[in-house]
This record gives sequence, C-alpha cells and structure tokens, in this order.
Amino acid sequence: MKNSFDFRTMLANAWVQGAIPPALLVVLVIIVEIGSPGFLTGETLALLLSNTAVLFILATGVTFVILIGGIDLSIQAVASLASVILAQLLPSMGLLAFPVAIAAGLVFGILSGVVHVWLRVPSFVATLATGGVVAGMALWLANGRAITIEEGGRASTSWINATIAGTPVVVLIAIGVGLASYLGLRYSRFGRQSLAVGAGEPAAYAAGINVDRTKIIAFALSGTLAAIAGVILAARLSSGSPSLANQLLLPAIAAVIVGGTAITGGLGGVGRTAVGALIISIVRIGMTFVGVNIFAENVVFGAVLIAAVAITIDRSKIAIIK
Amino acid sequence: MKSISNTEPKTAMQSFWSRAGKARRWRAFAPLAVLIVLCILIAIANPNFIEPRNLIRVANSAAVPLTLAMGMTFIILLGSIDLSVEGAVSVAAMVLVLLATNDSNTNNYGWFAVIAAIAASTVMGLASGFLQTTLRIPSFMATLGVWFIGLGFSVYMLGGSAVRLMDENIRALALSRFLGFPLAVWIAIAAFAVAIVIQYHTRIGRHIMAIGGGEDVAELSGINLRRVRIMAFGLAGFFFGVAGVLAAAQLGQSNAVIADGRLFAAVTAVVVGGTALTGGEGGVLNTLVGVLIVTVLANGMILLGISPYIQQTVQGLMIIAAVALSLDRFNLKIVK
Repeated sequence: MKNSFDFRTMLANAWVQGAIPPALLVVLVIIVEIGSPGFLTGETLALLLSNTAVLFILATGVTFVILIGGIDLSIQAVASLASVILAQLLPSMGLLAFPVAIAAGLVFGILSGVVHVWLRVPSFVATLATGGVVAGMALWLANGRAITIEEGGRASTSWINATIAGTPVVVLIAIGVGLASYLGLRYSRFGRQSLAVGAGEPAAYAAGINVDRTKIIAFALSGTLAAIAGVILAARLSSGSPSLANQLLLPAIAAVIVGGTAITGGLGGVGRTAVGALIISIVRIGMTFVGVNIFAENVVFGAVLIAAVAITIDRSKIAIIK
Repeated sequence: MKSISNTEPKTAMQSFWSRAGKARRWRAFAPLAVLIVLCILIAIANPNFIEPRNLIRVANSAAVPLTLAMGMTFIILLGSIDLSVEGAVSVAAMVLVLLATNDSNTNNYGWFAVIAAIAASTVMGLASGFLQTTLRIPSFMATLGVWFIGLGFSVYMLGGSAVRLMDENIRALALSRFLGFPLAVWIAIAAFAVAIVIQYHTRIGRHIMAIGGGEDVAELSGINLRRVRIMAFGLAGFFFGVAGVLAAAQLGQSNAVIADGRLFAAVTAVVVGGTALTGGEGGVLNTLVGVLIVTVLANGMILLGISPYIQQTVQGLMIIAAVALSLDRFNLKIVK
C-alpha cells in the first residue's frame, strides 16, 4: 500500500516538473520509427505537423485559461463560428475577412471572461453558456449548413496552404503563436500575474494584482486563438461549418493536461502544451496505424484525459473536490 | 470552490442582503412567474399556442429533457456537474437499438433491451462517480472524459451509421397514446414522480441536499460522502438511460448525433428552474418549471417564425441570466 502511494507521488512529481511528457513524446516517436521507419520525414512529417498546428493553437488558448485555474468549454464553438464568418465574408471582403473572423473570437472570449468574472459564474458553466450562444449564432449565420469556400475565395486562403522553404505556412503560424505566447507568459506583466492568480488567488489579490482583468484577458486570448485556429481549419478544408471544430474540444484540453499543465492552475506553460499537442497527434496517428477504429479514438482520448488529470492535479489546492 | 468571508465591514451590503433575504422567499417563485408570463405572451402573439394539439406537442418535446434534467438536478444539488449526459444518452440509445429488433443485426430481445439500455447508462454513471471519488478529481473533468468515452463507444458500435429501431412495442412508447398524450410523456411524468419521492422521502435524497449545503458539515454528521456521491451519479445515469430509450423510440433510430445538444438543454432547464449551481438549493420541482420554460420558449419561437438555429443562443443567454440572478454568490470571493 505504502509503495503504491509513493509511486503515485513520484509519478505526480515527475509529471508536474515536466520530465515525463517529453520522455513520453520521445518514446512515442521511437515506437513510430520502429513500426514504420522513415515515417517521420518529408511529407508525412509536414502533414503531421500541419495537423498538430491547429490543435496546438487551440490548446495554447486554453492553456492561458487553465493556468488561471479556470476552463474554457467554448473554444470549439468559437473556432466553428470563425470558420463560418470567414467562409461567408471571403467572397466580398477578401483578405479582410480574416481579421473580422478573428475579432469575433476576441469579442466572445471577452464575453466569456466578463460573464465569469462580473457575474461570478463558475467558468465551466459560463463558457458552456457562451459556447451555446456562439454555436447558435454560427448555425444561424450558416443557415445550418456547411459553406464551401468557392474558387474566388480560395485565392485569399491559398497562402495558408502554401509552404515556405519546405515548411508549411500553418506550421510557421503555429510556431509564431507559440513563441509569442511563450514570451508573453514568461516576460509580460499579464503572464506573471496570471501565473500568480492561478497559484493562489487570495495571495494574488492581496498583492494588488487586478485579478478580474487578468482573468478577462486570459479568456480573451483563448477566444482569439480559438478563432485563429478556426480560420486556419476553414482555409485548409476550404469550407466553414457550424460544427467544423466540434471534435477538437477534447483533444485540445487533453493536450494541455497531458503536457503537464495542472487544471488547478498556476503551473505549466505553452512549451508543455506544445509537447502535449504532439503527443496527442502521434497517439492519433498511432491509433490509425494499429487499426483502432476512427470512431473509437474519443474513447482513448477520454481515458487519457481522466488519467492525466488524476496524475497532474494539485490536491493540496482544493479542500473539497466537487 | 472555496469561499472566504469578507473581513472588511460592509454595512451597506449587509443591509442589502438582509432585505434580499425577504426577497429570497419570493425569488423561489420567480421561475414560475416567468413561465406563466411567457405562456400568456406567446398565446397573445399566436393563439395557436393554446390549441390542444400544440400543447400535446409541447408536452411531447418536454418528455426527454424532463427525464434528463431529473438526473442532472441531483448532481447539481450536490454542487457537482455531470457533463457526460450526451455520452450516457447515446450509449443507452445504442444498446437499445442493437438489442431490440433492428435493421443491422438479428437480435430481438424486446423489453430486455430496454432494461439493458438503462442498466448500461446506470453503470456509466456509477463508474464516473467511482472514478472521481477514487482518483479525487473534479466531477467536470471526470465526466468530460466519460462523455467522450461513451460517445466514441456508441458511435463505434453503430459503425458510424444510423441503425433503425424496428421493435413495434418499443416504438409504441412514442407512437401510441393514453388520454391524448404519447406514452413517452407519461413515462417522463413517472420519472418526475420517482425523482420527487427520492428527493423528499428517501435518505439518499436528504443526504444529497446535505452535501450540497455544506460538504464538511455533512461529513461531520456522519454521512458517507463517497457512497452518496457514487449513488447520485448512478441515479443520474439511470434517468439519462430512460431518456436515451425515449429519444431512440421517438426518433425510431439511433445515430451519432442522437444526443447532440442534450447536455445543454438539461443544464439550462435545471439552472433556469432556480437550482443553485453551488448545491443544496432548489430541486426537482424547480426543474419541472425550468424544463417547461425552455420547451415553451422553443415552441413559441417556432410559432413566431424565429429561426430555430438561434435557439441555442437564447438558451445560452438564459443560463447566464438565471445563474447571474440566482443565489448569494456575491459572498464568494473565489469563483473558478
């Protein structure tokens, strides 16, 4: 009994200190290499990274919210709405459709934050509600259908599907987003304050940090990044739809947690989310490889999520677990 | 969720809240008032609303949400949340259609399929209760995982396509009528009666209220928190299973999207009815009113020719408004 407990503590410590996720990633890469030599080179690697890019951008947004100790369940709806707006506006506005779609994400991110902070609604209910609001709007705007981006609009989206020096632009965008988020979290005042809020809200409050503003900014970032992920997804699939990103909520949250950011907040970062997103992507490819039915993937992700939460959660922070 | 009492004196706020204490008794009736006003307004705008045919339609479309929301009420009374509604409903519907007469295999187990479907969903509920108490993780995370495990499993079993339910007796739940209402409505009413009995007349019901009201006090007074929690999630799973059977009977099939939007409808109904998310306040009677508000509003919007797509938006706004207007959360300093 004692031994098993020690093992659990050890596992938890190593995980939150960030040692296990990269090791897990390396092991997974080695397994894939052994199973299919040369798989992770050239085109297939570029495809893997492009597929990871959208997941990573979504997950980076949620990372900000999870770091302050909240959760955002509206990201898939915001991403889908952004894809619908992009597909609707491309023919008339061209490249200007991108900022409009992303601004919509910013607005609904702020809305989630305001509902959570000002009305004091727990974040999972606040974002469940705003997610519903957003999903309804996306359905309404798209009239319940998927909208194909026609030939004319594709001229404005082709740059996203292009490659620069052999690297897909999507991957470059993801790297840019990742770097900016990493630096912002590490060196900006907001970044430090959000870590403080996540680590201990009463202390952060007592230290004079504007907790409410920090939280709203975190939700705004989550909404914005979700919208960016949505427009990229729309450009890659040449279509916008009210249910385009519905399958991405669970993998995105799983990526954050598996990477080693604790849902209790205050501990983790964008680098860990990058590792988590790669792990999720490789696991997905691995499952297709081993012949796991595509419909059954969610079963694995659900189980992975529960396991990762159980390992990384900081139980000293919550007196009563609801 | 932790709460810290404010140390600074706030006399203005205190007097405000003591006045609010009186208002609180009235507030219990606010959802009912909203429902009545809503009915009157819709009836004025479109008299077709109060035609018997339309009222039966409203009752029929309230059947599944009511059964679901009964289960969700107990979880929210605990102060927890169950996000696995859609997973549980889709598993129950999948088990039902695959075991009853269908167009995909040769099974023909009749009513046994119904029992198996409800049992499967109950086991899922017990499992998510067991998982979260054993691993000590918050309910929204555990049930988020279980949601997708259930959904993935049922879509996998259905092979990604729709399977038709061809057992006449089970289809009759939706098609045949008793006293003008489809049998599904009567089953939902029965579920409501069961929920009332559980909440007010059983030990588990009282224990759920006690835990929601204050977990530490409940524990000190000798309640086995873990057992009550697991049983409450099992109970919720039971109601979700019944709802899944009704949904499959109404639709005549089970597919990947049979459960879409159910979580949202259930949470909206419970919260709009006035049950506090912090637990311990409200109950199944509130939820009945909440379900009727949501269903009447949806029906009214169709009668008034408003795009059905905007319904989720309206429901989302209703959740925000109801949560914001309810309870004394302003005493809480930390909301996560």
